[in-house]
Amino acid sequence: MTSALQGWGVWLALSAACIGTYLCRAAGVKLSGHISQDSEIFRWLSTVTYAMVAALTVRMILMPLGLLATVPLLLRVLMCVLSLAVMMSRPQRRLVPALLTGTLLMLAYGVWRTSP
Amino acid sequence: MTLDRLANRRDAFWRGIREALGAPVLVLFAGMVGFGAMGRTHGFDAWMTGLTSLLMFALPGQVVMLEMFISGSSLLAIGFAVTLTSTRFVTMVVTLFPQLHRRDRNPLLYLWVHMLAMTAWAVSMREFPSMAPKHRLSYFIGLALPCWLISPIGTVFGYFVAGWVPTAVTLGLVFINPLFFLLTFTDVKPWANRIAIGLGCLLGPAFYLLDADSSLLLTGLVAGTLAYFIDRRWLRSPPMEVHA
Repeated sequence: MTSALQGWGVWLALSAACIGTYLCRAAGVKLSGHISQDSEIFRWLSTVTYAMVAALTVRMILMPLGLLATVPLLLRVLMCVLSLAVMMSRPQRRLVPALLTGTLLMLAYGVWRTSP
Repeated sequence: MTLDRLANRRDAFWRGIREALGAPVLVLFAGMVGFGAMGRTHGFDAWMTGLTSLLMFALPGQVVMLEMFISGSSLLAIGFAVTLTSTRFVTMVVTLFPQLHRRDRNPLLYLWVHMLAMTAWAVSMREFPSMAPKHRLSYFIGLALPCWLISPIGTVFGYFVAGWVPTAVTLGLVFINPLFFLLTFTDVKPWANRIAIGLGCLLGPAFYLLDADSSLLLTGLVAGTLAYFIDRRWLRSPPMEVHA
């Protein structure tokens, strides 16, 4: 493949992806004018969205692409559990401490793994 | 529920900014740094990688696009797959924007909606009930604008540091996104949505193994509908069931 052709293809793929993504956002605006917040369809769409977001999250943790896939599954799950425990250790949210817990544990694992 | 502490729209806008400048911007920045590093290692152009974050601003879709392009998928397949991962925006917008004041629900929303991502959505869903409808759009813009603007900056930053940052650091960065999403679930109050999250976690991987491209949409529809009917049938209203 010549670099010119590859460059051209990349930009076309980017355009298609951007347009597709924006159309989804715009469709939401279009539809939102016709749906009341307290309606049954709102409740249903809310559950559909949460289910979709949950599926995406679990996929990113259990079946990640790329670098995260090099970390053993058990460790990924364990780090998530520990972070969740920090998050829920107080009635008020402890988002930043919980995020730091998971991230630093992952960093520590990375350091441990690369050290001889 | 908290009373509305906001004096006016400007106040709401700045409160949104302040909220954004904590975890949300940090999380997005980290996620985008990870994406930029990925673009670099996959041999993409710095401009293209940065513009993806500015113009698409949907991390899962961006990752899908990179991966599919590398594996040589057709342009049509890439466009379709990315659009499928972005269908979550339809429902996000439909659940969030009806909560805005009637006056704010005008064509300008087609502009603001581009700045919506999961982070701003989750925070807005949490905070909107505690503020007056007329302040919600300003709050949302204050929250979403920094999130959007930081994304291409983080991406280009990640692109250029990818060469010299140790793998351990990159590992920590790519873990932030899924972790943040997971943690926000603990804040969800309505039982219907909690059940939807539980079912989504269970069915998501199963559907993913069946058909990766459509699995998000399928899981959302099946698990969401199931959760809705479970809530409607057994959990809603009659008080006797609460103490049963």
